[in-house]
Amino acid sequence: MNKLAAKYLRPSQIPTKACHGCGIGMIENWLLQAIDELGLKQEDVIFGTGIGCVGRQTFATWGGDNFGATHGRALAVATGLKLAQPDKKYLIVVGDGDAASIGTSHLIHAARRNLGVTVICEDNMGYESTGGQFSPTTPAGYVTNSSPYGMVEPGFDPCDVVKAAGATFVAETTATQWHQTVKIVKKALQNDGFSFVHVRFPCNENFGAYALGTRDTLKNLEWIYEHTQGRKADGSETDFTWETGIKHDASNSRPEFSRLLRDMNARVKADMEAKRRP
Amino acid sequence: MITVKAGGLVAPWIEWEKRCTDGRRLLEAGTYALTEGAIAAGCRVFAGYPITPATDIAEYMSKRLPQVGGYYVQCEDELAGMHACAGASLGGLKAMTATSGPGYTLMHDAYGWSITNEIPLVVVDAMRVGPISGITGAPGQGEFYIARYASHGGNFETIVVSPSSVQEAFWLTIDAFNLSERFRTPVTILTDQVISDMWEDLFIPADYDGLDFVRPRKHNLMMPFYPVGDASIDVPPNVIGHGTGVCVSAYTHTEEGYDIEEMEAQWAQTYRLVNKIRHHKDELARYETFGLDDAEVVAVAYGANARTVKTGVLEARRRGVKAGFVRLVTLWPFLDELFERDCRFVVCELNYDGQLVREVQRAAPHKKDVHFMGKSAELHTVSEVAAGLDGVARSNRLPELPYIWTEVR
Repeated sequence: MNKLAAKYLRPSQIPTKACHGCGIGMIENWLLQAIDELGLKQEDVIFGTGIGCVGRQTFATWGGDNFGATHGRALAVATGLKLAQPDKKYLIVVGDGDAASIGTSHLIHAARRNLGVTVICEDNMGYESTGGQFSPTTPAGYVTNSSPYGMVEPGFDPCDVVKAAGATFVAETTATQWHQTVKIVKKALQNDGFSFVHVRFPCNENFGAYALGTRDTLKNLEWIYEHTQGRKADGSETDFTWETGIKHDASNSRPEFSRLLRDMNARVKADMEAKRRP
Repeated sequence: MITVKAGGLVAPWIEWEKRCTDGRRLLEAGTYALTEGAIAAGCRVFAGYPITPATDIAEYMSKRLPQVGGYYVQCEDELAGMHACAGASLGGLKAMTATSGPGYTLMHDAYGWSITNEIPLVVVDAMRVGPISGITGAPGQGEFYIARYASHGGNFETIVVSPSSVQEAFWLTIDAFNLSERFRTPVTILTDQVISDMWEDLFIPADYDGLDFVRPRKHNLMMPFYPVGDASIDVPPNVIGHGTGVCVSAYTHTEEGYDIEEMEAQWAQTYRLVNKIRHHKDELARYETFGLDDAEVVAVAYGANARTVKTGVLEARRRGVKAGFVRLVTLWPFLDELFERDCRFVVCELNYDGQLVREVQRAAPHKKDVHFMGKSAELHTVSEVAAGLDGVARSNRLPELPYIWTEVR
């Protein structure tokens, strides 16, 4: 176990049940690096997850308090929890199913409210724990176990959605960008409001095997890297490009949700006391 | 097992009413009583989605909670509403949501999560006639079974209670919070459109802080968080945010809350979730009876229509029928013991498919002596109930009555 894992994670739950070559553990290590560089302690952070690869492999790994919500509802749980525990940092680590499909309404409204949480959407571009079906973030045309003739639906960019809904920090990165991801997560955690970080990572067992034709981790990482550059190793153009980096930074520009409610309560209390005075 | 006490109401608030002498008498709605009961019980978070006929609870809560330092969250849907309540409760605040049938079924995602993670909270379902949207302003009693099986997957018991007056809605809401804290589980208050919309005499205690019968929130700061394989109920609920390393999830779990895929863990968890309620049924029994001593035929009802049914029983007695009355306040766990007597039963409920009647048929010694008087979208009239009791007393058959369904099978 590395030093960061020893400092922050729960030894009995490490290693996780993730498949060989899965990017989830690596990204979690980068999250720990960001947490450590910010000087946060175990008890400062509440770790929430959902269902699927990302939920299952990260739940209970965090040494502090954990919750693994029902599918897509981590942000709904966090909305209530934040009212009771407003001073904690919330790391909501979910997958593309949780964020971009079954729980999108909660994502939109958490962004609208500027709920003080950092959502890490770890996107393996499909439902891989159920065996590799397409998700709203699967690139159009790609073959999965539920799109054997190619994904016919258009894709979906959750960053655009949360930005439109009012998120105060939005960034996109991938499992091929270590230092950029750490920097982004640090900025996200420093926003007292809704932060959304979209991290694409490879699934070797399903997306890699069926959409890309290989279970080789390095080849799958290379495919992701090429799509961040818009160019393949041989110099030819990729079929599409992912623009990574910070997409919107309005950190600390408007009040956080639980703060708004606490301020209203203070106003109501003051009004009540003023009325009581003769 | 419970020991049936014949005659009158069996409920903790009989004692509470004696202790609360200082207060205000109001003319108020059931929704107001449900809201004030929650505030008195220490509820500090309401998260939900407005729906007729529970909307007024949301509106009252949005006014009252900020006055007591609490939080009203109008969520994007009922799924979010109950999950947010569960989150707030995990964080240490008592929470409630309120809905009607269409929202109640959506909440079952969070209901199961709250059951398995033993999260105390209160859910009000103001039932209207269905299925689905049905008639928004007409009462129904269609969620009797849904409230029992408020999640999929089996392997759990639920606590469900039902008031039949505005005053009782107030006390029962405090009681529901107490039960949810003690049993570490969500509790459903299954009320209906009539009780929630009805205005009635309501006594409200002057000082909520001084109510010594309100069970305070305690935090479990010990490992293990889940005494799996143990039905004890004196372990306070989990709390997130106190550095104890809580783990709650949707999975079958170990005592520490870690997900596990082993049959022994599944059995141990089931033992706890089922028996912490089954083994303490005596603490959960709330009901009202009269006339059971000499009754040849007993009318059974709950909620709003228990009011007209009760008057129907009195009318039948006036006509010389040896009639008795059972009103269930605790619907689940089902109080079988009330029906283990050699007499005939007439079960009056607000649906045509027959729900409560099936449980009475199961619990009573002779199925052929259990009769169904189902009515839909409006309360039973006194004369219908009296005629039904009269017919069953004479010939063990219900007379044909318009608007009444009698067929169960």
